[in-house]
Amino acid sequence: MIKVFNRIIKFLCINIVRLILPDIILFTNTNKQKLMQRKLLIVLVLWIITVGSTIAQSQTITGKVTTTDDGSGLPGVSVVERGTNNGTSTGVDGSYSLTLSGTNAALVFSFIGMTTQEIPVGNRTTLNVTLGADARQLSEVVVTGYTTQNSREVTGSVAIVNAETISQYPVGSFDQALQGKSPGILVQAQSGQPGAAANVLIRGRGSILGGSQPLYILDGIEITATDFSTLNPADFDSFNILKDASSTSLYGSRGANGVVVITSKKGLAGTTRLNYTGQYGFSFTPTNPLRVMNSNEKLDYELMNGNPYEWTDEDVARLRTINTDWADVFFQTGHTQNHTLSASGGANKTTYYLSGSVFDQTGTVINTGLKRYTGRANVETSAGNFNFGINSTFGYSEFTNTSESNTGISTPLNAVRWANPYETPYDEEGNYTAIYSGQPNPLQELLENTNVRQQLKGVGNVFVAYTVPFLKGLTLRTNWGGDFTSYESTAFVDPTTASGGSSVGGSGSFGRGFERNFRYTGTTSASYTREIGTEHTLTIGLFNEVVHGKRRNFGFTGYGLGGAFQNEAGITPGTTTNGFIPAVRGGGSENALLSYFTNINYGFRERYFLSLSARRDGSSRFGADRRFANFGSVGLSWIVSDEGFMEGLDNIFDLLKFKISYGSSGNQALVSQDAGQNDIFTSLDFASRELYTRGVYNGVSGLIQTQLANPELQWERRTIFNTGIELATLNGRLRSTVEFYNALTTDLFLNRQLSRTSGYSDIISNIGELQNRGVELSLDGDLVKTPAFTWNATFSLTHNKNKIKKLVGGEDNIQGIYINRVGETMNSLYVVRYAGVNPDNGNPQYLTKEGEITEVYDPSDRVIVGSIETPFFGGFGSSLNFKGFEVSAFFSFVKGNKIFNNDRANIEDPAYLWDNLSAELLTQWQNPGDVTQIPNPNATFRTETTRFVEDGDFLRLRNVNVSYTLPKSWTGAIKLNTVRVFAQGQNLKTWTDFRGYDPEIAEGTLQGAQYPALRTVTFGLNIGL
Amino acid sequence: MKFNKLSIGISLSFALVLSSCEKVIDVEPEFAIEGTQLFKNLDEYQYALTGAYALFRQTGYYGSGGQTTGSWSTLPDMMSDNLVQTGEDLANWQAQTNFVYAADDSDIEIAWQAAYYVINQANVVLNNIDQFAEIDAERVNEIKGQALAIRGMAHFDVLRYWGEDFDRNSSKLGIPYRTTPDPEAMPSRLTVKETYDNILKDLQDAETLLDGISLNSANNRAYIDQLAVQALLARVSLYAKDYAAAESYSTMVIDARPLVSINAFPGIWTDATAEEVIWAVSFSAGEGTPSGGVHVASSNRNRFRPAAPLVAAYDQVNDVRFPAYIGLRQSGNVSPPRTIYPGLPEVIGTNGSPITRTIVSKFIGRNGALDNVVNWKVLRTGEMYLIRAEASAQAGKEAMGLADLNALRAARINNYTNVTLSGQDLLNAIALERRKELFGEGHRWFDLKRTTRTLTRPDVVLGSTVLTLDPTAREWVWPIPQVEIDANASMASQQTTGY
Repeated sequence: MIKVFNRIIKFLCINIVRLILPDIILFTNTNKQKLMQRKLLIVLVLWIITVGSTIAQSQTITGKVTTTDDGSGLPGVSVVERGTNNGTSTGVDGSYSLTLSGTNAALVFSFIGMTTQEIPVGNRTTLNVTLGADARQLSEVVVTGYTTQNSREVTGSVAIVNAETISQYPVGSFDQALQGKSPGILVQAQSGQPGAAANVLIRGRGSILGGSQPLYILDGIEITATDFSTLNPADFDSFNILKDASSTSLYGSRGANGVVVITSKKGLAGTTRLNYTGQYGFSFTPTNPLRVMNSNEKLDYELMNGNPYEWTDEDVARLRTINTDWADVFFQTGHTQNHTLSASGGANKTTYYLSGSVFDQTGTVINTGLKRYTGRANVETSAGNFNFGINSTFGYSEFTNTSESNTGISTPLNAVRWANPYETPYDEEGNYTAIYSGQPNPLQELLENTNVRQQLKGVGNVFVAYTVPFLKGLTLRTNWGGDFTSYESTAFVDPTTASGGSSVGGSGSFGRGFERNFRYTGTTSASYTREIGTEHTLTIGLFNEVVHGKRRNFGFTGYGLGGAFQNEAGITPGTTTNGFIPAVRGGGSENALLSYFTNINYGFRERYFLSLSARRDGSSRFGADRRFANFGSVGLSWIVSDEGFMEGLDNIFDLLKFKISYGSSGNQALVSQDAGQNDIFTSLDFASRELYTRGVYNGVSGLIQTQLANPELQWERRTIFNTGIELATLNGRLRSTVEFYNALTTDLFLNRQLSRTSGYSDIISNIGELQNRGVELSLDGDLVKTPAFTWNATFSLTHNKNKIKKLVGGEDNIQGIYINRVGETMNSLYVVRYAGVNPDNGNPQYLTKEGEITEVYDPSDRVIVGSIETPFFGGFGSSLNFKGFEVSAFFSFVKGNKIFNNDRANIEDPAYLWDNLSAELLTQWQNPGDVTQIPNPNATFRTETTRFVEDGDFLRLRNVNVSYTLPKSWTGAIKLNTVRVFAQGQNLKTWTDFRGYDPEIAEGTLQGAQYPALRTVTFGLNIGL
Repeated sequence: MKFNKLSIGISLSFALVLSSCEKVIDVEPEFAIEGTQLFKNLDEYQYALTGAYALFRQTGYYGSGGQTTGSWSTLPDMMSDNLVQTGEDLANWQAQTNFVYAADDSDIEIAWQAAYYVINQANVVLNNIDQFAEIDAERVNEIKGQALAIRGMAHFDVLRYWGEDFDRNSSKLGIPYRTTPDPEAMPSRLTVKETYDNILKDLQDAETLLDGISLNSANNRAYIDQLAVQALLARVSLYAKDYAAAESYSTMVIDARPLVSINAFPGIWTDATAEEVIWAVSFSAGEGTPSGGVHVASSNRNRFRPAAPLVAAYDQVNDVRFPAYIGLRQSGNVSPPRTIYPGLPEVIGTNGSPITRTIVSKFIGRNGALDNVVNWKVLRTGEMYLIRAEASAQAGKEAMGLADLNALRAARINNYTNVTLSGQDLLNAIALERRKELFGEGHRWFDLKRTTRTLTRPDVVLGSTVLTLDPTAREWVWPIPQVEIDANASMASQQTTGY
């Protein structure tokens, strides 16, 4: 063993050094960090070895598992001693060895897609087995967090995404990688800022004011959706996406928007397996199809429109010689590197999985990036009737941010569009220039001010399960875990920058903030499984669950910077006269859920399955007598292909399954557009109560009524009907699922509009109904499947129709450019239709409600012109594998949604003449008879019209992966299990008509300052032994 | 059956163990107080009153936010001929300053709701406060009087923008008057007369309740005391053309709080003195600013500059108001030197030297700080002189009007010699003096509206600036926000005429 380990260490170290060495040479200024990373990796290696070598190895039974296809050795087959946790898996060549724990043992050999075999050992010391493909058994295991089922039995709608395929995507937040992978799940990137979380919707937006994010469960513990960037996706084993009422019933209090159940990797008893994956790559910014003016164009435009800066001819001539492309000033080639090292294994009754990782990504905007370090330890053991386990992960990440999605003038990403091309960031002496318009020098803002957020995250759970000895089939289990996150954010505003000048006291600021979030989940259950006769199987579970979340934060901002320090030491103490009084803040909130539920699964003849669930949930957020609500579900599935009457069709249908389910789940999460502020959290967590918060006047503290009493507020309820067919044909080579769903949200959280003379605009009420109906289709086919060559293709498509069924008093709910109206899709855009420019006078024209052309802009002419909700989306991909070479490509697409392009409005408004503008304004109306889309610049500019409404359709080449796995004969010779090299490209190409960097905009309006999704190319290596 | 017994047993033990868990969801807010636990004593009413004052600082009332200016602080001057929008403003507030607003204008909606939010908080203070009248009558009067004054004052401010007419007995559309904190109420617009009836009742009640109660000190005039209520009544009476009342109330104030000395006058604007100040809304660091929409002192953005004709109207040598109100400030170093913002008096230096613009220097900060943090002077004795002068002149007491005009000028202008004027000349002189005295303090738009004058802007920077507004234009009266009409059926047919 020791020899092997030595070889591993040597190999890994050499390769790690090889991978890192070029970085040190290329980026000497960061070599300190790289050295740190190298040290970290070496420490990890040692740690893994220490743990790995403590596990004793001995040998009683050995053998080899081969395939019936060609007799080749089958690696990765699970070999388990029946009735125990004692097991192993086969090695590269299919061989295994296992120490048996009991006498009269039988071994169970199982492998996905193969027929499971159970063979008594007897007196043998060698046991060779051949496994054949099981065309019928699409025996993916479905994990719901509380229970594990064979997918055959599942009555609900569950999509499984193999974590392996997406764990290598070069994205900081793993949810980004789910895009297009499964029907029913819409994933929109929103931002390319390293580490930014995606916006994920399962089966359409089911709530208007409530949260519509799915619930994320990692090893049974709820984790917060917005901070995935401190978790390593390479630790994940599978994603099970639960979409209907039957499958989400165990999460009824939080499951209304679907559930993403993530399991982390577990060890298998047997040989210790070490695995290293590393990749390195580059990111690029896409070009913006909406071009801004160059110097000549801008100067011409200014001269044409009154020469606002009163340039002399001399000035103009000089300025024409300058032509700054501000995109070049702000964008760079980003770098990504990612290393994960893991070890798994175990012996007898103990298994473990350990890993460590480093992820380092610099963004395509200078001064942005994410660095992440994670570690994980999963250990499971059993003693007698008890089974214990711990899953834990710990991560640290550091984000360097720039602000985005706003219209602020000191936002560098706006300056890319707005800064005049005849200005430069630096003058001849290398000092920052003052921008003519008086706006901040954007490069100075970006480089001199820093904004860093450090996150510490720990997610872990422990469980104890007790198999009751006196009653076979009864298990008691309790699982407790927490999701802990803390942030420390640091903001330094340099006094020499414009934002430093506009800080309190006019001389910069330094702020630090700390936030701590902790949510614990405790689940205690009793479950009883029994086979009655030979035809009935029954599982009954009783559960109690408590979820409690608490947040606290505090922070300060001090002023009067400018000395030698860029931290607390640089703050000038405030006095009554110097204007540097620091700001101090702090707050917190709390919420809790309590649930009781039961779940019954019944199977008859392994052909008919019934699942029932019922639950009662209480939430602290609602009015005293509205806290508790009941939910439940019923589901049925029928394996039609096993029926006698299908006998003759055996060759056609390997599997034909019909399923149907109906049930409800709840939503108690209210969200706010202004999330992030303390008083907002308080008002959401205590939404039913009349609240008073502090208000200070003249140095005296008082109270301000900030929220109206709302004792009627209660659970939002989503009732889902789901039915579908699962089909496998052509010897299991073509697999298909078609599902139809109809989800109705009732007691919909809605802002009931109040007379503004109350001082309030609205109050949250449970009035309204919202429907999401849709069809999902997935196809997965092995077009060619020979031992040497496989060609696989997948396709998924979702059509979701969102429709508002009921609103407060049936009245339209209009907020800005959005309307919610009965019979229409939610978040429909409600604007006046733009009808081009009147050639006679250059005035913009609009359509009246009746469709007549007018020059008068009147809000009462607003009509619905589409919605930001996405009706069609999906993905398709294909992979080819030939003797270890694999090429795969994956595309995702959306169709039918609209985007309001405010970013374009910002650069088409002629009033912003002092800043750079869209090149299209050069075609503005000038003389009677001009036919153009750009009105005369003196006409009133209106943004909220169809002029700025665009289609959000796009098709994107999401990922391309080319890899080569070295033949086993080679790798076996150097005692390695697998060696794989790969190259991949992320977001390489996007086809869209949208006029902005990136059409992936989840909230429908592109405000401005867009940080586009990264286009990344990486090269990597995977070694397993 | 074994299974049944067991499952019952387990269920029961679960039920027993877990029912005690229900307290898990009994969580209480720690950073807010629930309404049901409040208003058990007068201290808590006092807290709520303090909250009502704090709400005057809201963005949209006196406070100025990033894209919404103080509707009752500097906006009335931006909308008039006193201030000129420059390119440094980045075309914010164009909708108001160029009168292109329709019913869906968001800043108009913000102003409407901000005022009624103050009113609601005042109504919260007044709600059931009389239950303590027997325990501590004087303190109840003190709290109640201020809350009534706040309620009347805020309603009057709403009337200034949304009232279709200012005549005391006009039957044109006024505004809804809210006297209870009921979020479900759907009030309709009263007539102008009915609105005045309510405003005057609240203010007169406040005047009575606050009699003999001292709230402010010589250096701090943060609270509405009886004198402030009388000053408000003088202002309301002038708008209502009740000249006798205007004269009588302003006289009370002038007698109690004389004009500041000519040398101390500049100190008012840096809060060095509170002389002559009757009520000022207190602003401290971190509480926003009332004047950031005009000249952002910290980042040196001159969004609006003083209009040339007004600058020219001052006696720049002798008038203490000129240096106190209007200054020059350099922009950053820019090369080549050029006129950034055309107008006067741009000083262009030699190559590379800074450029100087005219700024409103009245509100830029205390003690030389450049942060716009100064108290917002809502009521001053200077205005009381002008109210009395105008009321007297309008009522035919020209001598008295002229005397007030001369008295005010003498207090502001060194070496001032009295003038003699009469008839329309006198009224015009009083109007011009109002403009010069109250420049930037949120009066000009309403003065033009109240006296049905044509707005003309001879001095503009931006091509998009509207040059003139006829007295008959619909824009003098703001539209009721569309969201109000949508939510409140009682106002469905009461949209402001012309919208």
